[in-house]
Amino acid sequence: MELGIVAFVLTNVLVKGLLVGFVYAIIALGYTMVYGVLQLINFAHSEVFITGGVVGFEVFRILGPSPMNGYLKLAIALIAAMIVAGFLNVLIERLAYRPLRNAPRLVPLISAIGVSLVLQDVIRFLEGLAGRFNLVYVLPDVFTQRAFGVPVPFSTAIVPVQGKDVIVIVVAILMLVGLTYLVNYTRLGRAIRAVAQDRTTSGLMGIDANRIISLTFLIGGALGGVGGVLFGIFFSKVDPYAGTIPGIKAFTAAVLGGIGSIPGAVLGGLVLGLLENLIGVLNVFAQVPALGFLKSIGAEYKDIGAFIALILILIFRPAGLLGRNTTEKV
Amino acid sequence: MSLLEVKGVQSYYGHIHALKGVDLTVGEGEVVALIGGNGAGKTTTLRTISGMLRPKQGDVTYAGRSIVGMAAHDIMSLGISHVPEGRRIFPQLTVRENLDIGAYKVSNRKLIQERMDEGFALFPRLAERRTQLGGTLSGGEQQMLAIARALMVDPKLLLLDEPSMGLSPKFVETIFDIVERLNRERGTTILLVEQNASMALGVARRAYVLQTGEIRLTGDAADVARDASVREAYLGG
Repeated sequence: MELGIVAFVLTNVLVKGLLVGFVYAIIALGYTMVYGVLQLINFAHSEVFITGGVVGFEVFRILGPSPMNGYLKLAIALIAAMIVAGFLNVLIERLAYRPLRNAPRLVPLISAIGVSLVLQDVIRFLEGLAGRFNLVYVLPDVFTQRAFGVPVPFSTAIVPVQGKDVIVIVVAILMLVGLTYLVNYTRLGRAIRAVAQDRTTSGLMGIDANRIISLTFLIGGALGGVGGVLFGIFFSKVDPYAGTIPGIKAFTAAVLGGIGSIPGAVLGGLVLGLLENLIGVLNVFAQVPALGFLKSIGAEYKDIGAFIALILILIFRPAGLLGRNTTEKV
Repeated sequence: MSLLEVKGVQSYYGHIHALKGVDLTVGEGEVVALIGGNGAGKTTTLRTISGMLRPKQGDVTYAGRSIVGMAAHDIMSLGISHVPEGRRIFPQLTVRENLDIGAYKVSNRKLIQERMDEGFALFPRLAERRTQLGGTLSGGEQQMLAIARALMVDPKLLLLDEPSMGLSPKFVETIFDIVERLNRERGTTILLVEQNASMALGVARRAYVLQTGEIRLTGDAADVARDASVREAYLGG
């Protein structure tokens, strides 16, 4: 087997894996932050995130014919998606989770799944009213050819990198850095961590825990919105039901990294992105005589492989890669 | 006029009738001890005052204003700091961050720094450990941090729940010294809940003895300390 092919395949895995991984990471942060403050899996997050994707689609669609600068369109799409998805998430918490705050844990979980289903069909209904069923992103030219007006330096015959790929990574990294700063070095971030660690005592410190919980949903939802736009840019389209699978994967990434841990969500996202892309190309190695059995493992196996990896990691490290083994507080 | 008045307060935990009509007052600048055995309702009384628990009946007034039914974070903003049972340090925040969280309601950065320095002066051990996570501190250090954290808002009324619990005699001494100094030097009003009755009665001016949710005895700390039943039950004969 030629070394050149191996290098080509692995470089592609690396680039694609990181790209998808960063998108997962951004979405995973929404799960992990909400889990941190409420110990609740916000199953509606996959729809919050895809709502961001739909908002992004709308912005690019409406601004499509305008001669406006492509990056300005991107900025508008991102901000609009953040606002819509962020406040949608706040609204969901207010209506579907807060009234159930003292109910057994399974109850808000069911309510989350309900919200998720409702949102899918609300989006479908709204887009269907306008006669749109295929939400294909109308991307400015700069995204599909070059990044920031210059040809991508390492976009050669070996790894086809488009401008939009660079944009996905740059935006994702900016979000991650911003969030890390917010959580670790600001008054709001400290309050979020305090509420996550001990809600009752944070009240004694003068912190209005409900307000902090709302803000956490706002931040998590806004990140989800950005994730949705990046998802739409990367895969070129979204649809009302497209949130489910990446949502579950992002949730997997959060658990993989250690739910409740912010660096864990990022690591989990990247690991998952790389892993599933690696599994997607395994059949290339079937040319090696001893590995002939890989022949039948096609790209469609990448989801299965990712989840098998999750199961294995959870068996050997139940708290996730960066999670702490904590006992329940009394 | 007294700073804090608790009138006929009845509180429940689920179906457990924890406070069966508690009356007590704390005057401005006083140190008042609330003593009693396990399950007498001492912690419940503090929790009811600070808004962690809503009483079924009765009234709590602070500076002449009823605070019953207010959220804990709003009551705290009025100048009442509660050092809760078990210290409740944020385990994954550093010592510094714990103090910063204590000053959540203070917006002036300079003032926060000043008070943090005061806290470190009061408890030099905390200064040495300022970058350590709260959860890694010893019990005594956590108690110091809990008190320092409560002082970040320069409270008028400090509610202290069992500051001596689980501490070595040396730490107990330090903590009670600080309680006395806070009252003497800053005029902080203190309501002190303690199982260590002899220590508590040593620093307090007045005392209440709580038993199964009711006040059994009240008076000057010295008189309470001389009471035969108190001596037998709480002071070791």
